[in-house]
Amino acid sequence: MTSRTLARIAVLLQALLVIVLILSACAPGAPTPTPQPAQQPAEQPQEEPTPTSPPEPTPTPKKERTVFRIAVGIDPDTLDPVATTTTTVGNMVDYVVETLVRIDRDGNIQPLLAESWEVSEDGLTVTFYLRQGVKFHDGTPFNAEAVKFNIERMLDPDVRVPIRTPYTPIERVEVVDEYTVRLYLKEPSAPLVSAFSWTTAGMISPASVEQFGNTYKNVQHPVGTGPYVFKERVKGERIVVEKFEDYWGEKPYYDVVEFRIVPEAATRESLLLAGQVDLIILPPAADIPALQQNPDVEVLLAPSDRTIFIAINNLDPVLKDKRVRQALNYAVDKQAIIDKVLFGAADLMDAPMAPSLFGYCPVGEYPYDPDKAKALLKEAGYESLELNFIAPTGRYVQDFQAAQAIAGYLAEVGINAPVSTMDWPSYVATIVAPPEENTTQLHYLGWAPAYLDASQQMLQFLSTYAPPNGLATSFYKNEQVDELILKAQKETDPEVRKELYCEASKIVWEEAPWIFLWVQRFPIVYSAKVTGVSYLPNEKFDALYARPK
Amino acid sequence: MSGFTRYLIQRLLAALLTLVGVATIVFLLLRLLPGDPARIIAGLLATNEEVERIRVQLGLDRPLPVQYVIFMTNLLQGDLGISARTNQPVLTEVMARLPATLKLAIVSTALASIFGITAGVLAATRRYSLFDYVASFGTLIGISMPVYWLGLLLIIVFAVKLRWLPAAGADKPASIVLPSLTLASFSVALIARMTRASMLEVLSQDYIRTARAKGLQERVIVFRHALQNAFIPILTVIGLQFGALLGGAVLTESVFGWPGIGLLLVDSIFARDYPVVQGTVLIFSALFILVNLVVDILYAYIDPRIHYG
Repeated sequence: MTSRTLARIAVLLQALLVIVLILSACAPGAPTPTPQPAQQPAEQPQEEPTPTSPPEPTPTPKKERTVFRIAVGIDPDTLDPVATTTTTVGNMVDYVVETLVRIDRDGNIQPLLAESWEVSEDGLTVTFYLRQGVKFHDGTPFNAEAVKFNIERMLDPDVRVPIRTPYTPIERVEVVDEYTVRLYLKEPSAPLVSAFSWTTAGMISPASVEQFGNTYKNVQHPVGTGPYVFKERVKGERIVVEKFEDYWGEKPYYDVVEFRIVPEAATRESLLLAGQVDLIILPPAADIPALQQNPDVEVLLAPSDRTIFIAINNLDPVLKDKRVRQALNYAVDKQAIIDKVLFGAADLMDAPMAPSLFGYCPVGEYPYDPDKAKALLKEAGYESLELNFIAPTGRYVQDFQAAQAIAGYLAEVGINAPVSTMDWPSYVATIVAPPEENTTQLHYLGWAPAYLDASQQMLQFLSTYAPPNGLATSFYKNEQVDELILKAQKETDPEVRKELYCEASKIVWEEAPWIFLWVQRFPIVYSAKVTGVSYLPNEKFDALYARPK
Repeated sequence: MSGFTRYLIQRLLAALLTLVGVATIVFLLLRLLPGDPARIIAGLLATNEEVERIRVQLGLDRPLPVQYVIFMTNLLQGDLGISARTNQPVLTEVMARLPATLKLAIVSTALASIFGITAGVLAATRRYSLFDYVASFGTLIGISMPVYWLGLLLIIVFAVKLRWLPAAGADKPASIVLPSLTLASFSVALIARMTRASMLEVLSQDYIRTARAKGLQERVIVFRHALQNAFIPILTVIGLQFGALLGGAVLTESVFGWPGIGLLLVDSIFARDYPVVQGTVLIFSALFILVNLVVDILYAYIDPRIHYG
């Protein structure tokens, strides 16, 4: 071998280096092409300050653009409002796209793009009176035609709309005048107006579905009426939105909001502690106590509508017995698990739904009482039991860990139920197996309605919604409960409707088709240098009007 | 046709066959996994009717052999299909992520090669010295340290405490420092160990003794006579490591929020996004085959005794 060979290797290494340089010039990942709406300034988002000086969103002079950075854990599958299924994706889309109504922090329905609405006496027509003078980001006026277009697109079977069902009672949409839209329903649907607060019903510019690389069936670049304009998306890395200068409502403080995609919870936490982002969701649960002690950050454990429970297979020969199911409920010290395993990020359930839902009323409690549990088991004829128990990992706050603690409590009353886990798609396939193939006895699950109404929650106790028809995976069946739920779905008098849900809840609670655990809180952590950060009660952060202190 | 050209054509044909095999295996393996892609995409709140509609849109309602024929036909036309999760062409999804992964793999391999070879040569020439022991111990740690743990440790030290470097993302030039160091830690150890062993073997050869007897400078002996001859196994390890880094960076990408193909693959597996998993694995395989081919060709450059054809 000669030095010529060595020289060749050197040349090759140099070639490698050149490739690296070329790649670094075009990486990370070419940003998806995002043509600019005409009225937007065509400059790039402001470079962040150098990492050595922790960036501060200070209201500094000379038009320096202010940036608010949020780290989330998931890379959105879609930014098309109708296709969204995940609250966090919805949360980001909400910056750009608005709905006719919105929910406030207490779960009440408030006007947004509709100033008011009316439901007819018979519940068969709903009329929305729209806000005037609103423009989409591409300059298209927001009016009744635009609403009609969006609702019809949402109902079009050719468009992928996973959460379409709440809107399917709509038969047709009528444009009454420029700012009035009337919906004719096939049958009364009490939660319909509430469903118009969910991101699926977000209003995008009708003109935009043929532009910006969008198609009618596949919108990648949402153009809405929101306070921020969609600017750029780098898949797997970030989504950037910019302030909409012609926004109809109160304008937000920050010029740019950047969503950073960071799957690892510990890394999100580090980003916040390093001052490289201003807000994160879902830090590692075990770090919540330390974060609460840290003066540089604020911790918000936001109440949510996600109930966490263990679905008991009500068809199982052993678990068919109500006493056994009640015994399971008495056997577990849920508060201790909330304190020690979830680090306070949950509240005990006192009804089969979260308190933020319309239709909620507190119906009871299953206090920790192992003796009572043993007595009930004995009454049912069991000294000890062997049950299978599965839980997902990483789907809900401390899910597998909490399940292990629960198994520990069950063991103390003579129920041996070791927990096993599997990946989410396999898990779902296992729990939705039809009754004859379904071998699960206990499974850990979370359920969060998309909008704050009991209707989607109570599906869990509707016998016709059991697999294979739906996802009421405890196979609970009670004819009286079925009747109450179906009646409530059509009832238009809110007071009567609430009563119906309340009554159904009492029966369900007493019959214990689940081990009722807790309502999960949604942890949001943000820099102590900013103020104006809040939450919505459906696992969303509300940082639209955040500003430096 | 020269021998080399014929060799190249043979290799490329073999690669094509391998890819068809990989495509078939991935196709089948994915379908053996439990889980319904349509349900996972639609979420728990969707009704069965909507899930069924999505299943039809994805073509998953057709019999398996039909799905396979469609997949292979499209593949041979260079069409990897549409992502079930994002509704975008698979090629678009993969190409959006590939540069980030390539960049990370190349930088890590370069780092690992520079440090690994240097450490290996030094350890071999100073056998049983303090440096040798320190290097051996260091490489042992490098091999056994979990990427996940090392990554978080680096983030805490360099981003949170010292505030020198970005903790995550890929938007700044400095962003690559921590992920590439993390990723290189394993390879550097492997390359150093291979270099040391290979060098020791060569250094004990007769011709090295002859060179020493001739009174050549030690530097010349080590770099010209020993390292060049010890280089083939080292290059093999580097090539294999580069291939592994392309596919094995999943954890690193996850810890650092690096928008590479590993993360895409994991997201797609968990969403049962068949087309993207198939496409990503195929592209991985193609790259891996390519890297191996390049390494084989490099052998002939390094060692004139090796000829193809």
